[in-house]
Amino acid sequence: MSTGEPHILHGANPYRRMLMPDAMSEVDFSASLGATELTSHRSLAAHRVLGTFYEAETILLPEQGLQDLRTDFDLFYGTDLRRLRESSLSDLEDFAFGFLDDEVDVTGAWTVEALDAYFQHAVAEADAGESPALTAITAARRPTVAADTYLVQLALDGLTEASAMSKNLGGAYGPEQSALFKIFIDEFGYGVHDAKHTTIFAKLLRSRSMASHVHAYWNFYLAAPLATNNYYYYVSRDHAKFFRYVGAVTYAERVFAPSFVKMIATYREVFGDDVDLHYADEHAHIDQHHGRITRDEVLLALAKRHGPGVIPELARGIAEARLLGSWFDEDTAAQIGWADTIGYHRELGLKAAAESDEGRRIDLAAGSPFGTRSHDRTTALVVADGELDLVTTATGEPDRMTRGDAVLIPSGRLYGLQAVSPTCTYEVRPIADQ
Amino acid sequence: MIDLRRHNTVLVGHERYFLFQTETRWRMVHDRCPHRGGPLSLARRTPDGRRLSCPWHGTKIGVAALCRTALPMVRSGDEATVVLPGTSQDAPVSVIRRRILANLPPDADAETDPTDCNSSTGSAQPH
Repeated sequence: MSTGEPHILHGANPYRRMLMPDAMSEVDFSASLGATELTSHRSLAAHRVLGTFYEAETILLPEQGLQDLRTDFDLFYGTDLRRLRESSLSDLEDFAFGFLDDEVDVTGAWTVEALDAYFQHAVAEADAGESPALTAITAARRPTVAADTYLVQLALDGLTEASAMSKNLGGAYGPEQSALFKIFIDEFGYGVHDAKHTTIFAKLLRSRSMASHVHAYWNFYLAAPLATNNYYYYVSRDHAKFFRYVGAVTYAERVFAPSFVKMIATYREVFGDDVDLHYADEHAHIDQHHGRITRDEVLLALAKRHGPGVIPELARGIAEARLLGSWFDEDTAAQIGWADTIGYHRELGLKAAAESDEGRRIDLAAGSPFGTRSHDRTTALVVADGELDLVTTATGEPDRMTRGDAVLIPSGRLYGLQAVSPTCTYEVRPIADQ
Repeated sequence: MIDLRRHNTVLVGHERYFLFQTETRWRMVHDRCPHRGGPLSLARRTPDGRRLSCPWHGTKIGVAALCRTALPMVRSGDEATVVLPGTSQDAPVSVIRRRILANLPPDADAETDPTDCNSSTGSAQPH
């Protein structure tokens, strides 16, 4: 659904998400995504829809009440969209995640000990590694804007935390079920709303003067973070993938604690005491326990109970979570780098525009609905008439462009445009990658 | 961790393992014929593709049986992580690049020179 609104941020309405209908119509859904395409426009478009479909299976109610949104509530959860969702969800999942079948392969004779050895290796590697996104924040010319960009990606899950996990709590599968539930109830503050992780994440956003309602920053979620968030729904919705989910959540819970320690150090460096890091502190602490519980009481316990038939699936989940986690970080780092160097990319854009043929012309009127998109190929955007703002971050100042200005947009980089003059025209010129 | 673009043989102590490809799947299997320890990495596939013929005494080893005893391995793109048997964290492991004839189809040139191998050594952490 289009918001139909010119605002950069989404309003407090969880039922409407800007999907950029024109950009969506360009997407060829006939050929599935490849492993190298996770940050592509095709991926962004698919994961926006997929994420919306998944969340329609959860309860979203606006804080201010439903009074003005009852119609949207009825549409979002209504029969028409449910039928559309149910008829296309599996195909969309194949499109978006089918590549994992080729990208990750688990072979050999697995034992519980081998599974644990692989798990320990994967997390040791994560502990020793750098976070490209956090490094990009530190290196940025505008580190506060860069740090906000990272928060926006965390907001995707941070404001609806553990929703995917909820799909694996029902049923009857013994002590492992109770162990998983312990983690779930931690996320929900043991029934105390003020302690709920989404509540303290909202506090973190507000300490940065950022909006804290669900999907305020919808327009700024990147493709790989969307894919990462969707992955946990993907392996949770289909209970045949339960063991993959367990591998993935065990890896995630184990690597979260040290990654939040690194995040705290970075954010203190950028903001000093002017940021509320309770959320990060909470995770740096509680995820040590979650890492231990998921390993000992869920992952290895399920492997022991259900034997070699399920262990490769558990290992596969670890590998997939590791892969997607690295893409999340790299995509975020790339967006921070691009948004932080628009001046340089404007110079490149002028050069590229001079060497390229005329492209597709698009008219934009002031007050048009705002949305963001990316391109599958590196693209030069050239302003042919009027004046517009190039928006690449949720909290930074946009870049004003007038007739004759250009900017180079690397493939996969997210941007939006707002007309400043009553009308303006720009050209989109695909550039041959060097 | 093995970079599959560069390596396909691993030496753990005195035991050698090699990457064996079936269809699109890679498996890390023992380079030792159960008969007299012949190098299965130099074996030829039988015409039906279901067995390997050991170059030492012609013993036929079923591909399915070989795959069942493969080392636990996770391939992610061009990387593979293998859980090696009986090694401590500090044990040395050599990773060797070598052309593996057992991966050739049965009708491939039988005279391919196994020394035409761009051999190199590296190190990998045992897991």
